[in-house]
Amino acid sequence: MGKTITEKILARAAGRSEVSAGEEIAAKPDFVLAYDWPGQTDVIFKEIRQSFGIRKLVEPERFGLFIDHMTPAASPNDAEFHARTRASCDEFGIAVYEHRGIGHHVASEIGYACPGGFVVHFDGHVSQLGAYGTLAMGLRRSLIEAFVSETITMTVPHTVRVDLIGTLPAGVMARDVFHHLVRLLGPGACRFQVLEVGGPGLSQFSTDGLQAMTGLAMFIGAVTAIVNPDDDARYAEAASRARKNFGRVTSDADATYAARHQVDLSQLEPIIVAPPSPANTRDLRDYVGLEVHVGYIGSCVSGKLEDMRAAARVLQGRKVKAGFALHVVPTSQQILAQAAAEGLLQTLTESGAYIGSSTCDYCYGRIGVMSAGQRAVSTGTLNVRGRMGHVDSEIYTCNAATIAASAIEGRIADPRPYLEGR
Amino acid sequence: MALEPLRGRVAYIFADDDFDVDQIVGVDHCAEQDMQVLLDVSMQSFDPQFARLARPGDIIVGGQNFGYGHPHYPAMQYMRHLGIRGVIAESFAPGFWQNEINMGFIPITCPGIVANVNRWDEIEMDWTGKLLNRTTGCTLQCEVLSERHRSIIEAGGFIAHLRSKHRSVAA
Repeated sequence: MGKTITEKILARAAGRSEVSAGEEIAAKPDFVLAYDWPGQTDVIFKEIRQSFGIRKLVEPERFGLFIDHMTPAASPNDAEFHARTRASCDEFGIAVYEHRGIGHHVASEIGYACPGGFVVHFDGHVSQLGAYGTLAMGLRRSLIEAFVSETITMTVPHTVRVDLIGTLPAGVMARDVFHHLVRLLGPGACRFQVLEVGGPGLSQFSTDGLQAMTGLAMFIGAVTAIVNPDDDARYAEAASRARKNFGRVTSDADATYAARHQVDLSQLEPIIVAPPSPANTRDLRDYVGLEVHVGYIGSCVSGKLEDMRAAARVLQGRKVKAGFALHVVPTSQQILAQAAAEGLLQTLTESGAYIGSSTCDYCYGRIGVMSAGQRAVSTGTLNVRGRMGHVDSEIYTCNAATIAASAIEGRIADPRPYLEGR
Repeated sequence: MALEPLRGRVAYIFADDDFDVDQIVGVDHCAEQDMQVLLDVSMQSFDPQFARLARPGDIIVGGQNFGYGHPHYPAMQYMRHLGIRGVIAESFAPGFWQNEINMGFIPITCPGIVANVNRWDEIEMDWTGKLLNRTTGCTLQCEVLSERHRSIIEAGGFIAHLRSKHRSVAA
């Protein structure tokens, strides 16, 4: 009987020859990641000291902590919180990454995205390491177990397989594919399961695109998403940066799936996710013309080079409408530097976009916030009410090209006419 | 298993699928930490008398994919403050399910629950998953929690459960 990539990764992490979906196992994470956040990391450090008497972690080099929220610090409290995080990491020998960008992406730049690796975090958007064939799961407050014990107790999840076929039309991006899956299969379609994306259509996507697709997995109910490393170049690139090497792990052709679906990409249109829920996926065309005031291109899933390029392609030689605030925030400093080298930042700033340095803080409404009655188009992760400012402001999530086009018109706009001939 | 059967009244039915629990406290208060404020603002759009009517031991009921979205903690902190023991739903969003069982709150999956209970019915579930609606006599089969998950509930939450498991081996 064949095995899924998830079962193979977890078998190795559990020190077993094989495991099957549904089994309870004790698995050792290859890496334990987190970002500093009140109620999460401070609680973990306090509890492991006080309740568990822990002075040393097992293999502290497995641990990595990102300071990416509340960055830059906007109050003395923020600064103090970060200082306590650094001190705790010092005490336990944990590597800290700061001013590098959003951790879920930076993790891939600095080798935590090992093909075949098993990574845990408290936050579910770490699932985007699945683009590299890494099984990366957000454990919520159960993450503390990985600090207390070498292994975590878990049930091997079942897998829903989605095979992509066909070619994605211009103006439709990887992010639209994910939103389309939510619409097609339902927002609870992969509950407690892994979303595995594969098929002949996969090779047309950049790793940036695959990170957008896998990073949003929680909104289809999945505990994570993963891509089989079936592209030689992508695998080689990931393996060259990887801190640990597990060889090329892939699902067997006769693996057992809880469900299997096929999606023809050539039929897809740009999607807009209307408030107040990520389940509310709609056709962009039904919302074209709606007045919008703010645009945000950024977040852990969609501030990638591909998004910068898409926005620059639309905005080249054009202007953001007067009064419209377009915030472009590359996910990492490395992306920012690359976008500068490619001239994308010049194109974007000439069009009137405001470029921010990488941080999580736009996405959850800590900076760049909206007043009552304002409406945003956003590549942030989520569109619930009040997330980017006043509770009476609205967020429509969509792809980066759509935001660039909407910034020109001050209304929700279809990017495709702006991409013709470019 | 030392856990007593779960027995209580259905204090409210959130029948909508993909229910976002932040609605219970309202978006303006989804991160509120002051229980006095939560007691004032919660359930206002569902039943303003809820806090007065609910009794310790009561249970709430939910639809498909209960807890979808970006659930914050205060909604169920409020429920626990009133003595609500758990939620029985058609199905759960995993993030919500994980968050709440970690707090010692009981999340039970029970297909058919919404159509087979009315508000204030008295229901009872044993830990083999047999659910009896004592008011109507109707029975349903719930998904059985694993021994590990039952012991998390018995311990009163995930950290307490871990403490009982790992304290002795702490360095």
